[in-house]
Amino acid sequence: MSQDQNNKSGSSITPSQPPSTPTKAAAPPAKKGTEVPAFENGLVSQIISRFGEDKIKVAYIRPLRMKVNVDPTGIVEVATFIRDNLGFDHAESVTGTDYPKDNQIEVIYQLGSYSKDDIAAHILSLATRTNRDDALLPSLTNVYKSAEYHERETFEMLGVYFEGHPRNERFLLPEDWADLPPLRKEFRIRGR
Amino acid sequence: MAKNLEHQIDESEKLGMQIVKESEDDRLMTLSVGPQHPGSGHFRFTIKVDGDYVVYCDPDPGYVHRGEEKMCEYRNFIQNIPHLERPVIHDSANITYSYSLAVEELVGIQVPRRGQFIRAIASELDRQIYTLYWLAIYGIFLGHSTMFMWPTGDRELFIDLMDALSGARVTHAFNIPGGVRNDMPLGFKDKCLRHISYFEKRLKEYEDIFYTNPLFIQRTEGVGILTKEDAIRLGVTGSVLRASGVPYDIRKAEPYDVYNEIDFKVQYMKSGDSLARAYVPLLDMKESCHIMRQLLDKMPESGEVRAKLQPTPKGPPGEAYRRVESGRGALGYYIVSDGSPKPYRVKISVGSFRNMIALPHLLVGSKLADMPSVYWSLNYWPVEADR
Amino acid sequence: MATYPQEYRFGNFVASIIRLILWIVIIVSLVGLPIIFVILFYVPLPPVNGEVLTPYLFLSMIVDPTRTLPILHFIIHTDIFKVAVFPGFSFAALFAAVTIFVERKFLAKMQLRIGPLYCGKIEGILQLLADGLKLIAKEIIIPSGADKPIFWAAPVAFVATAAAVVALIPVAPGWVAANVNVGIIAVFAILGFFPLIALLFSWASNSKYPFIGGLRALHQMIAFEIPFFLSALSVVILSGSLNLTDIVKAQNPYWYIFFLPISAFVFFISSLAELERIPFDLPEAESEIVAGWLTETSGMIFGLIQLGSYVKVYALSALFVILFLGGWAGPQIFPKELSHGPTAGLMGLLTLQGIYNGVTANAIFWFVLKTFGIMMLMLLPRGISPRIRIDILLHTGWYKLIVLTFINMFIALALIYGGILGPGGLLTAH
Repeated sequence: MSQDQNNKSGSSITPSQPPSTPTKAAAPPAKKGTEVPAFENGLVSQIISRFGEDKIKVAYIRPLRMKVNVDPTGIVEVATFIRDNLGFDHAESVTGTDYPKDNQIEVIYQLGSYSKDDIAAHILSLATRTNRDDALLPSLTNVYKSAEYHERETFEMLGVYFEGHPRNERFLLPEDWADLPPLRKEFRIRGR
Repeated sequence: MAKNLEHQIDESEKLGMQIVKESEDDRLMTLSVGPQHPGSGHFRFTIKVDGDYVVYCDPDPGYVHRGEEKMCEYRNFIQNIPHLERPVIHDSANITYSYSLAVEELVGIQVPRRGQFIRAIASELDRQIYTLYWLAIYGIFLGHSTMFMWPTGDRELFIDLMDALSGARVTHAFNIPGGVRNDMPLGFKDKCLRHISYFEKRLKEYEDIFYTNPLFIQRTEGVGILTKEDAIRLGVTGSVLRASGVPYDIRKAEPYDVYNEIDFKVQYMKSGDSLARAYVPLLDMKESCHIMRQLLDKMPESGEVRAKLQPTPKGPPGEAYRRVESGRGALGYYIVSDGSPKPYRVKISVGSFRNMIALPHLLVGSKLADMPSVYWSLNYWPVEADR
Repeated sequence: MATYPQEYRFGNFVASIIRLILWIVIIVSLVGLPIIFVILFYVPLPPVNGEVLTPYLFLSMIVDPTRTLPILHFIIHTDIFKVAVFPGFSFAALFAAVTIFVERKFLAKMQLRIGPLYCGKIEGILQLLADGLKLIAKEIIIPSGADKPIFWAAPVAFVATAAAVVALIPVAPGWVAANVNVGIIAVFAILGFFPLIALLFSWASNSKYPFIGGLRALHQMIAFEIPFFLSALSVVILSGSLNLTDIVKAQNPYWYIFFLPISAFVFFISSLAELERIPFDLPEAESEIVAGWLTETSGMIFGLIQLGSYVKVYALSALFVILFLGGWAGPQIFPKELSHGPTAGLMGLLTLQGIYNGVTANAIFWFVLKTFGIMMLMLLPRGISPRIRIDILLHTGWYKLIVLTFINMFIALALIYGGILGPGGLLTAH
């Protein structure tokens, strides 16, 4: 249960890395010699067995952390299943990452559990991707109420419109903000 | 051209009707508890009041939004530390702790044992510093000026300790990925133990003057009750969650560094009203004193405090999500790296932002006079929520 | 200051001395002499040692100071002295100033800090003067849309009303600015004016927070006026008179606090509420409504309201002392006379012949001591209590306190009819 994350990695001195090729940032870090942890694998396979291999793409399964990619059309059902059957009852954080190279924005929901003890330390990341030019996603506010303000912030910072969210409005930015959504990669901080 | 004008006239008529409709609600008075208010910190929320009852509440954060997450993409992993600790200046050992853990996972760094202990001690000290400040402001919100002066004065003890440890009273810039910046000074352990013993006596005095004060109990008992189901559904965290009956503490649920060797209990209460939310941090502070004693006891006598790193560490492409229990609750970092020395995306999930959703939920239907005791009991730090 | 020093020439020095003499001559001849002649010819002056006061006699007093004593005696017993200096406004203002300073130091010690320290050589004693000068120098900002006449008049009315209460309070036997036969009723009538001033001022400020604060002040003060005078009613029943001086005289030899402890308690709590002190400072609740009905005050208007507030503290503490603690009664620790028989010359001056009255001095001493004690007691809750909420406040004021005063009124009536107090009673001194 209390696996120390630091014991997993290799030596304490990091050798200088060769310049890495630009890859998809969601690619799992290849760790040689570690197997897929059984408990987390069990959780993910429950989702896969319910919805099918083609709808659910597993990004990585590590001790205490799992990430699953879903299409925008099915995300509400998957989230409802995760909440009711697996027991992940709240969203710790909702955010988006801009990938201009794939012309996509990935919105990721980190789901945690307060009520079940055996998954209290686990975080299941539910990710979905949408087109950058016309970013539209269904909102998970009805499934996870805790995601409401985070989704609103993602709307204003990245320009992703959440259908079904009560208020897709400016939240943290000033009232007279007339520029690009700030977390997009083409928005440069002045002077840098 | 005429069509455009028609369109404009229509819009303004609609707007006019909207204004008329709002003014029909003459009984409602809109109050802006704004950023320039002695009762709110740097946070604005709008409430509509009908007599003495609040019927509508709308938080409007962002007064001190600085763009921390965007700034992280322009600096490498170590350069990010000084600006990341600005959201909570006095609890900075926690907000950089979580960041360091996530970076260590991405880059693959092993922190030496003595460094882990010192990091944990700094985290506990900063937790005391923050909670005392929060308690002081809670006192002044309810009009109790002595309860403002006493915690602020006692807080100086811990600030002195952090000053000796890191060189700065607040914004210590003490944690870096790989450990801490420098070792403890000589005599720190004895000084720390002395201060903790004095402080534990003071906690009893706080209970006498504040927590058992009948006027305080009258103002907070049964006020703003957050049930356990609502707390879980709304996803609140930290002392707000523990005051509603959910014994969840990340140091116990997902122990990081050396917390699996420390023996402590998660403090929680079941009532979920403002009194419980004010009481849980006091219990947390007492527990924190136990934890600090054990940490000082078990710490190895000597050793490295920091892993040897490159000046610009970088790791393989990947992502990591680590969290830490700070004064306000779970502080999580989601870092995406694409193999370069600078992070590709950093997302900070702070406890204050997650607790903000409980504010409209609790305020609507309560009295205006209860507003300070409900609002501040949600352990909301405005600067951190805005990042 | 980066100015270069002037050249010091002896001629400039002499010129400044001559300028000074010129100004003195001008002022004395154009202003001072007419005033002296007006006083000497049109104001009835007291006879000094059987002689009428002539200018010659007046100027000869400069040589022989003992002859000024009868003049002083005359001045002290005029009405304007009693109203303006003692026991009137200046005395109250001095008391208020001392209270503000003592409050800051006292609270600071309770809160583990020091309080004002740097103004003045000894423990910051000139802090109040510095604050007063600062307030006078500040700009007075009046919000747009505010009702200007009331905005200016309300603070002045506040101080004037507080001073009017002070005028009714006897400090020593015979020393009262206005000896009214219905003293207590007059006090409560004047006190009833304060909620009106608070409401007028908050309405004239044309802003939301003062509006809420003014309504709260109104509710609070009205709710606590009734227990206030019901508790004083028990005292009136026992003493049989409404005149404040007679009430003090009737508390001989036992003070009323021993017979009416509940009334004293209710009176104390109600006066805390009237004074808007913590725990009853809702109208000024800083964290909820910025500064309540005082939000829009700035500069000297704020200064006037603070002054009025603390003069009111003095007035209500003095009232408590008079009603329940026996006023100026206390063992005679001052000698009745400083010399045996009339003396003249230097000894006469030193023994304040004709002015010193042992009984009065004793009375003033005990009165000041008791009032100061009660004022310290009023300052104490500020350090130990948070603020109360409005519904609990109104519930306390309208239900609990009125019931307690009725209980004590029955006790008072029982004492009178049982023949213990009142005329011909067991414990009345004759």
